[in-house]
This record gives sequence, structure tokens and C-alpha cells, in this order.
Amino acid sequence: MEEEAEPPHEKHCDEELQSPTVLPWDRFSNWIHCCCVVTFDLELGQAMELIYPSHIKLTDKEKMNICYLSFPDSNSGCMGDTQFHFRIRQCPGRKAAVKAHNSYNRDCPVTLQSETAFYYGFVYFRQTKDRSIRRGYFQKSVVLISKLPFVALFSQLVSIVAPEYFDNGEPSLEAACHDIDQWPTPVPGDTLNLPIMGTVIQVRIPCRSDKVTGSTQKAPGTHTIPAHTILPSLHEVDIYSAFQSILPHVQLLWELVLIGEPVVVMAASPSVTSACVQALVNMIAPLRYCNDFRPYFTIHDSEFKEFTTRTQAPPPVILGVTNPFFAKTLQHWPHIIRIGEMGGFGSSPKALNKLKKAASLKTLDSKPGVYTQFKTFLSKDKMILKRLMKGATLKRPVEAQNAILRRHFLEMTQSFMIPLERYMASLMPLQRNISPHKGPPRLRPFDADEFLHTVEHSGPQLTSGIKGDWEGLYRRFFKCPNFEGWYYQRQREVNQKLQVLHMDALSNSNLTEWIEDKEEVEIVDLILRIKEKLKFASNNHTVVQGESVERLQKHLATIVQALPDDLQTVIKT
Amino acid sequence: MAAGPYNYSYIFKYIIIGDMGVGKSCLLHQFTEKKFMADCPHTIGVEFGTRIIEVTGQKIKLQIWDTAGQERFRAVTRSYYRGAAGALMVYDITRRSTYNHLSSWLTDARNLTNPNTVIFLIGNKCDLDAQRDVTYEEAKQFAEENGLMFLECSAKTGENVEDAFLDTAKKIYQNIQDGSLDLNAAESGVQHKPATPRSPISNDQPPSKEGCAC
Repeated sequence: MEEEAEPPHEKHCDEELQSPTVLPWDRFSNWIHCCCVVTFDLELGQAMELIYPSHIKLTDKEKMNICYLSFPDSNSGCMGDTQFHFRIRQCPGRKAAVKAHNSYNRDCPVTLQSETAFYYGFVYFRQTKDRSIRRGYFQKSVVLISKLPFVALFSQLVSIVAPEYFDNGEPSLEAACHDIDQWPTPVPGDTLNLPIMGTVIQVRIPCRSDKVTGSTQKAPGTHTIPAHTILPSLHEVDIYSAFQSILPHVQLLWELVLIGEPVVVMAASPSVTSACVQALVNMIAPLRYCNDFRPYFTIHDSEFKEFTTRTQAPPPVILGVTNPFFAKTLQHWPHIIRIGEMGGFGSSPKALNKLKKAASLKTLDSKPGVYTQFKTFLSKDKMILKRLMKGATLKRPVEAQNAILRRHFLEMTQSFMIPLERYMASLMPLQRNISPHKGPPRLRPFDADEFLHTVEHSGPQLTSGIKGDWEGLYRRFFKCPNFEGWYYQRQREVNQKLQVLHMDALSNSNLTEWIEDKEEVEIVDLILRIKEKLKFASNNHTVVQGESVERLQKHLATIVQALPDDLQTVIKT
Repeated sequence: MAAGPYNYSYIFKYIIIGDMGVGKSCLLHQFTEKKFMADCPHTIGVEFGTRIIEVTGQKIKLQIWDTAGQERFRAVTRSYYRGAAGALMVYDITRRSTYNHLSSWLTDARNLTNPNTVIFLIGNKCDLDAQRDVTYEEAKQFAEENGLMFLECSAKTGENVEDAFLDTAKKIYQNIQDGSLDLNAAESGVQHKPATPRSPISNDQPPSKEGCAC
């Protein structure tokens, strides 16, 4: 987890130079898939009024989900403007990734990688009285659909674009999309100025090699373009406000999220649920939350049956719901968070903040709190609560409270992960076992028991004062996709590194001498191995040394020349 | 630089021959990638595929040469056949002409390889049974008369593809074991990798205490 800070990121101009023909919408689609307008039609209900750019295709299922998720689910309140976000499954068999996202995904923090099978939707919903309309209400949403989890940026963006659209109609949406089509490619480490409708948003794209500190990075002062809005973060949400009514239970929630338990967040408004679900998912950063999560979920969703079936145990997902119907449908869920009130059940808004047995929810108790029978593995850290409470009484700014809370979770997650990182490093094969004429050595497999044995003397107790059953927490963690996701990521990184070392070894060895006493079959084998390495190098050009590649290319030419003439023509074609 | 142990103990050179369009490249792709390649482009010159397999506990690297079926590439033939340990001879069960040409392919294979080269006859596209133009029995008889191993396969569904490649390797390995294939003879098509004496030749083992001095 401790990562060295790197010198300021170099501009990746080469990519743009390689493809001088940037087509219209290419840059736009680096950021956003499309922009939708969803309206309420008196006959049809929610209906897609507009998709921009018009060549973007969404399946009927995707459209239906976007339509339902772009409107509040219950009739309560929501007068005026409401903002929230959702996440939907992409229908299979569609075009997978945006090309520019490949290099982005390689260098950005894993928590900010572009989604492969999901879309995010960032909604700006307006509901106002309008006597000129038949039912007397104007109800419409502008939705930005993207594969990038840039929650803070896109929320800001839609809050600029949508009101303009409501006032001036389609041309302003066109203008906004045109602006976005001028945006530079998101390159991790870069601070970007993003013009939008006469204003400029400045934001830094985090980088995997950033030192993870918990406090949001300050944009460097060297940028002179007047930025009207400087976003402190691309993706952070206001976790303090999201958790304010359930603060005493945040540590329990951290455990639930870490081990991938099913959690449902119930609140009156999708703004509240989406903020809370996102806050939960972000809690375990820099670890990536690998289960499904839906910041806002409705009874019309195409996964409704799948998620609410009672024939199976609740799926390991985090859902945010507002429809009171869910209180019944999901009452068997093991962990329920209620924030504020759901529509329809009048009760005192005072947070009681007692941990409640999930069973008591059967009475449709709608008081805020966390309903669970989960026993935490770790003992409660009372210091952090005291600090936050004190901050609240001192009217400390929300940003400061957020920083304290974020730092706390970061330290928890790091204390938990550092022993795993250390153990992982011990699985690396030795440098001297790398030989050019055997395959690259592989990482030794992960052995949970062997790891747990190391926890006794060099576990989280070295970096965290929190006592408790860390071992039990690890055991649960090993069974969940968050572990798998982390492990595969590390494994990929290590194997890539080993490939590079192996390639260096091959390029540094005297191959001309080696082939002297070898049969044709074996020389061809060597040629194929070199070609494979060169292919690896071109796919991973950022981590491979240019000299290595040049040496290998030279080797290849020499070896081919040593072959019989007839074979040379074959190899060259 | 010391020659360290290999990941595999043998390299077998295979060639795939047969008329244009019988599915040679698709068979190779199905075997190496376990995927069917729709809209496969015509092979130009030679392409290679490799895969490491295991035969009775021995790791063997198959080096598979896939060539264009077109006549104009016959020029490369000699180097193509030289040193092949196995030859997969492919026809298309829905096109009789590709079957009729087998004897000329077989003549080439016999003339240009060594007597121990294992030749395996593959009737490809057996998923298209409705359009069949060559019966199984007929091809089976041809194979028996010429001492060939035989299977009908489908590069599309993957049916029998694995078996054709593996059975060929087993036969070659068996020839090595019973001494009928002399590894020291030039152009045997088999390369035995000198492993460090009596030590298992895999680097999957944990980085051991002694390691190897490279």
C-alpha cells in the first residue's frame, strides 16, 4: 500500500501523435458514453426523449433501466431539483471498452478504473409546477451515462448542463457535448482544465503511484488558466454527511463492506441512498470493492427478481432503495441501514443510533439506524468517534470532518492490507531463478494458513491500535471477491514484472553462441519465444525498456540470418 | 550462461497440410486458444502456434506450423516439411475435392518427411453433417490402407480437436519410448531438452534454497 511518490507525470502526447485523425465524438466518448433526457409521459410513464449523440445505441433493456432510475421511485417530496446517481449492468455482447481507457486503467488507482460491464448514470431531476402542462407538473431528468466512476466530477458536470438544458432546450445540450468533445484524454497524474458552457472545471486525475494519504490532493499552483471551479477530487463523496446519522456504526460498516456482505440502504431520496452507497464502497479504498452495488435501485429494475428472491440467500450486493415496498421485500436481509425516513412511515427523525436486531424491522420500524445481528471482529475505536463528535460541536467544516473520517478508514484498510502485501512480496521468486531459456518463473501460490501464521508476529497490530479478531476478519475476507480482486491484480502486476525481467535476461544473453549446436526446431522455438517477448513489449511499452527491445530485435535478425535460405523466406513472410 | 532446465522436456514440430479452406488455421486456433475463429483470413506464408501439453507426465511443447493451402505457396514446401515429427492432414467432409486431393498431399508428406513422421488424417467440419460429401467409413478405410490415424473433427465446436493433436503427440512419444524414433538422427523433428540430471524440469516449484546458478 505504501507507494512511492513519483515525479510529475509526463504528458502522453505520443498517443495523440500516433492518431492525428481524432474523429468527432472520439474525445467525448473518452469521458461519457451518452447524454439522455428522460421525461414523464402521461400515457407511457417514464420515457426516453433524447439520446445524444444520436448515433449511440442502447439496448431496450438499458433504456428501460435508465428511464426508471432517472426518476425518484416514490412520490414523496422531491420538488425542485434532485441529483443522484445509479449504476446499471451493460447488456452483454456490446462493444466492450473505450480504447483510451486501456492505458488509463493501467495507470489509475484500481478504485477508479473504468467499468467493464456496468454504466454509471448521473441524474439531474427537475420537478416543478407548470400549469401549461396537462397534469400541472414539469418532470424531467438529464442523465449522463459513463463507464468512469468519476462521481464528483460528473455530478458537478450534470449540475451545470441540466439547468441550461431545462432553460434553453436541445441546442444547449448539443453545445455542452461539443465542449466535452474538446476535453483532453483522462491521463492519470494530469491536472486537467475542462471547459463546459462558459466555465472551466479544473480537476486532477489520480495516479496509481500517488502517495495515498487520505487527504485530497491539492491541484498544483502552476496552472494559470483561470479555473472557475476547482474540484478537490474527481470521485470522493461527502462520506461524513452520508454517515452522519449512523456515525457510531461506521466501523461495523467498514467490516461489512470489506468482507462483501449484502447491505441495503433505505432512505427517502435517491440523493441520500446514492451518496451513502457510494460512501460505503469508497470506505475500503485503496482496495477496490469488487461486488455489485447499486447506489439507487427500484422495483422496476431488470435485476429486481434476481436481488429480492427469497429462495436464495441475499446476494452479496449493496443496494440503495427509496420505495417503502422494499422494507418488506428486503426485510430478510442481514444488514439494513436506514437513513432519515422513507416516505409513508411517519416517525420521529431523531437518530436513536442503537444497533438494532434485524428482526425488529418486521414491525416496519422506520427509525434511522443500522439493523443487523453482525458481531464485529474488531473492537470499536472510540477515539475517532470522540474526535468527530467534538468536531461537530465545534462546528468544524464538513471538509475537515471528511478528511478525518477518510483518513481513519484509510488507516484501517492499510493496517489490514500491509501484512497481506508483505506476504505477497515473499511469494516472489528469486531473481537468480530467472533464466533466459526457461519460462519466466511464476509467483508462488497464496497460502492462507501460511499467511495467518505470519499475522501472529507481524500483523495489523504493528500499525493499528485496534484490538480484536483480525485473523477471523482475514478468514472472511479470503472468501470474498474483494480479496480475489486484490490478489489477481497483484498477481498480474508481479507476473508482468517477472516477464520484464525475463525479457531482459533473454536480451542480455549470447544467443548467437547458444544456437550454434541447436537443431532447426529449437532455433525456430527460440525465434517464436523472442517474437512472443516483442509482442509482450509492444503491449506493455510503458514498463519495458527500449534497449531491451532493440537488443531482442537485433538478436532476432541475426538468428534468422543464420537459418537455411528456404527457411528464412518462410520465417520472414 | 548455463543452459538451465526447460519448462518442457521435448519440442515436437507439427505441420498442418491440406487444401485451401479446409480449416487448417481454425483447427490450430481452436487447439491453441480453445476458441473458434470465425472469418479467418487466408493464411499467407507460414504461421506458428505453440502449446505445452503433457504426455504421461512429460511436458511437451508443440511447435505447430500452419501454411497456406494455395498451390503458389508450395515453394516453401521443403523447409516446411523438414523435421516434422507429426503431420495433420486435413480435408473438409463437405467438399469431396479436398478429400480427392489427399493422395497428393500424402505423397508430399511421405517424400519430404522421415519415415517415422506420424501422419494424422482429420476430416474437418463434422458439425456440418447435413452437407456431408465424404462418409466416415470411406475416409476410415483410406486411413487404414495408408497407415494413418484418423478422426473427424470440428474446429467450430471443438469436437475431437484436442484428441487429434494429443493422440499424435502420444504416438510420437511412444515411438521415442520404444526406440523406433531415433532422437539423434538429424531431422527427427523432436528436440529433447537437456534437463539437469534427474531433477524435475519445471520452474513451478517454489524458489528453492539451492536454486540454479545462472
